[in-house]
Amino acid sequence: MKRVVFSITGTVLGLVALLSFKSHGHPLTTAAALPSAGLPAASASPAPKGTVPTGASPNPGTRTSASSAAASASRTLAGDAIDTPYGIVQVQVTVTGSKIDNVSFLQLTAFDGRSQEINSAAAPILLQETISAQNSQIDTVSGATYTTDGYVQSLQSALDKAGIR
Amino acid sequence: MTATVSRRPAPVRAPATAPLRVSSNTALWTIAIGAVAVIGLWWQDTFYVHGFGDWLTNAGRITGLLAGYAVIVLLALMARVPALERGVGTDRLARWHAMGGRYTVSLSVAHTVLIIWGYAVIAHTGIVHQTSSLLTSYPDVLMATVALGLLVAVGVVSARAARRRLSYETWHFVHLYTYLAIALAFSHQFSTGADFMHNPKARMLWSAMYVVVAALLIWYRVCAPIRSAVRHDLRVVGVQRESADVVSVYLSGRQLESMGAESGQFFRWRFLTRDLWWAANPYSLSAAPRPDMLRITVKMSGGHSAALLHLQPGTRVIAEGPSGGFTAARRTRRKVLLLAGGVGITPIRALFETLPTTPGDITLIYRTAKADDIVLRHELDNIARQRGAYVHYLVGPPRRGANDHLSAPKLQRLVPDLRDRDVFLCGPAPMMVAAEASLRQAGVPRRHIHLESFAF
Amino acid sequence: MRVAALAQRRVVECMGTVFSFDVRAPGVDHATLDEAEQWLHWVDRTFSTYRTDSDVSRLRRGDCSLDDCAREVAEILAECSRLAADTDGYFSAYATGSLDPSGLVKGWAIERASDLLVSAGSTNHCVNGGGDVQCVGDASPGQPWRVGIADPAVAGAIAAVVVGTGVAVATSGSAERGAHVIDPHTAAAPTALASITLVGRRLAMTDAYATAAFAMGAAARDWVEGLPAHQAFAVCADGTTWTTTGWGTP
Repeated sequence: MKRVVFSITGTVLGLVALLSFKSHGHPLTTAAALPSAGLPAASASPAPKGTVPTGASPNPGTRTSASSAAASASRTLAGDAIDTPYGIVQVQVTVTGSKIDNVSFLQLTAFDGRSQEINSAAAPILLQETISAQNSQIDTVSGATYTTDGYVQSLQSALDKAGIR
Repeated sequence: MTATVSRRPAPVRAPATAPLRVSSNTALWTIAIGAVAVIGLWWQDTFYVHGFGDWLTNAGRITGLLAGYAVIVLLALMARVPALERGVGTDRLARWHAMGGRYTVSLSVAHTVLIIWGYAVIAHTGIVHQTSSLLTSYPDVLMATVALGLLVAVGVVSARAARRRLSYETWHFVHLYTYLAIALAFSHQFSTGADFMHNPKARMLWSAMYVVVAALLIWYRVCAPIRSAVRHDLRVVGVQRESADVVSVYLSGRQLESMGAESGQFFRWRFLTRDLWWAANPYSLSAAPRPDMLRITVKMSGGHSAALLHLQPGTRVIAEGPSGGFTAARRTRRKVLLLAGGVGITPIRALFETLPTTPGDITLIYRTAKADDIVLRHELDNIARQRGAYVHYLVGPPRRGANDHLSAPKLQRLVPDLRDRDVFLCGPAPMMVAAEASLRQAGVPRRHIHLESFAF
Repeated sequence: MRVAALAQRRVVECMGTVFSFDVRAPGVDHATLDEAEQWLHWVDRTFSTYRTDSDVSRLRRGDCSLDDCAREVAEILAECSRLAADTDGYFSAYATGSLDPSGLVKGWAIERASDLLVSAGSTNHCVNGGGDVQCVGDASPGQPWRVGIADPAVAGAIAAVVVGTGVAVATSGSAERGAHVIDPHTAAAPTALASITLVGRRLAMTDAYATAAFAMGAAARDWVEGLPAHQAFAVCADGTTWTTTGWGTP
């Protein structure tokens, strides 16, 4: 009986210790330390990180969103978007002064196949019955590329116009 | 039927090279290092654990990995690898297997519960819905669930309470279903296991581990005995009744010295008669192994052992082994006490014959409940005379306290330098418990007491 | 701390076509959309084969080496050669005879713009660049994005609707402007299909695959069938349509 108690306690403590290790670490440094080993199929590089035209705008990797309440010195920082073998990881940290108030994830697309499945949801559906532009209730249109002139006449421009207040 | 061994037995030859022995410590450390490596696989696959659902899922992954590893370790322990049998000892391997088996079944159940719960929390669904989703839409999970059910069933049947009520054969038969469980559960490890899905190297190593252990099992439990049977052509040459309920069986064949048996070891014997071929029962060698003869001495206590009395000379035998760590290799001191109870005299008798010694260094104490129970007496006396060793026959029912034959004071009176001796102890379980307690009480350190328990 | 949505739609003229941003809740602020817009212009300045001073044009003429170009150029070219291998040469940055990675660049630019929005906190948006669409999340809670597929024969008409969460939809067809699709194997425009639409998760790949699939013609069907996580809808030159298996059930 003693052995049973010992082995159960030992296992639980071991699990807790292992998991705690992986929950710690300053998120921004953790994000920076993550291996960007191999890129998922699509991306050539996470370009917004720092190669957007110099001088024109601040580096999107370390955005500071303006706080409307002037009193608080709270800043929201987004860490670099890091490509991992399973997807993109990016954290958002709210900092007041030098103290971190809140940490959350902006992107956590996958850490294992399971997360990938949750995040990508079900396979897309194709509807092919007689569809007219009026009753299809579509949000956007995909078609062979139109020119700027072609756009003006296109369905897409009608949708855009309707959406822009 | 009297023994037909008439010529002088050939002298015992020591094996040409010391047989390979894997000690308990080596085995335990290897298992521990493997477990750390398995956890390491999870460690380097996991970047960040965030939130309750993530904690549950990752705990599920760790327990799953460990269960898959533990299952292979358990099989390896039972593969009858000679180096393990000699070094760790068959009885200890069986005990580890039993304890490890209970732990593994628990790990598997924990893994299942944690995964279902964790997935449900992350996906914000109910447990029931999540379970059915896992069963129906994840590859191979249904098979793994059946495997879990089998494992739990085997675990229940193996519990001590159940084992007492079941015959050995039934228990053994149900136990074989673990092979099926392992086969069923294997595929889900790769198709849904986060640490394997995208990691071909891990899959390769894991598969290699399974393949190696499978190979060991097949080689040592199937091929080696067949090979040995062909090579040695072991047959019964004679049967001798030693007492009312004890019989000796003499076996002979070719090149028996290459079987690698040592005094104190046992084989699992498969007598190829119509009634006995299906069982391979363990019996110790009751004399030093000779190039042309092996002998076992068996107490007739059940259908199988009783049938030995009627074995005909010429009956073929398959000997699986040798097994057991109760050998001269365990010895740590010059002076030795051999302590045998009842039928435990069998391996002790073999050790008595061959344990290297100078006159006066070995004492044998043979404890039985009745005088009629003493077997091989003339042999023991002969050996004692030839080797300058002492034999004490302690006969009578067990008594309470200091009056018992095996109490500490009595042992000390019989063997005054008890504390300076190695003790080899073998007998029925209650006798061994009492004897060990007395020895410890008399000041014999634990590491100088060597045990062989038959009930495992 | 989340900044309230201040702008939800934006239309940007760039690369000779029009990009439409449609951001749903939670929204992003103007500065983010400005940045996305500037990103697109930067891609245009660097990769356009219609601008004589773009990195790609200069590279093509031999006026500069790969090292003098933006880092992304090398990465795009590397990705193009990998795609060429994956598609048996049907996608090629050299289909027209000289270097032209446009088949990959537009989809990639849109995908990066979408990533920009995501990194600013958007979890539901749709970026349409001249008919190639990258969606993230849903149009509204519980309602996946509905992407209409233009009928190649009838202007303003819809041939089918793709309904999905976080989908990338790319259509390649004979009405394509810019990099006219050329079959690298015949050096002529393919004729078997009027248009083919590929649906996947990430637009850069999906767009490149759509270009390759259009060049393949009838052979595209089996090829897309073999692609993991991609589905296709095609309109043949004779007006009939086919789809691959793997679509979800309504």
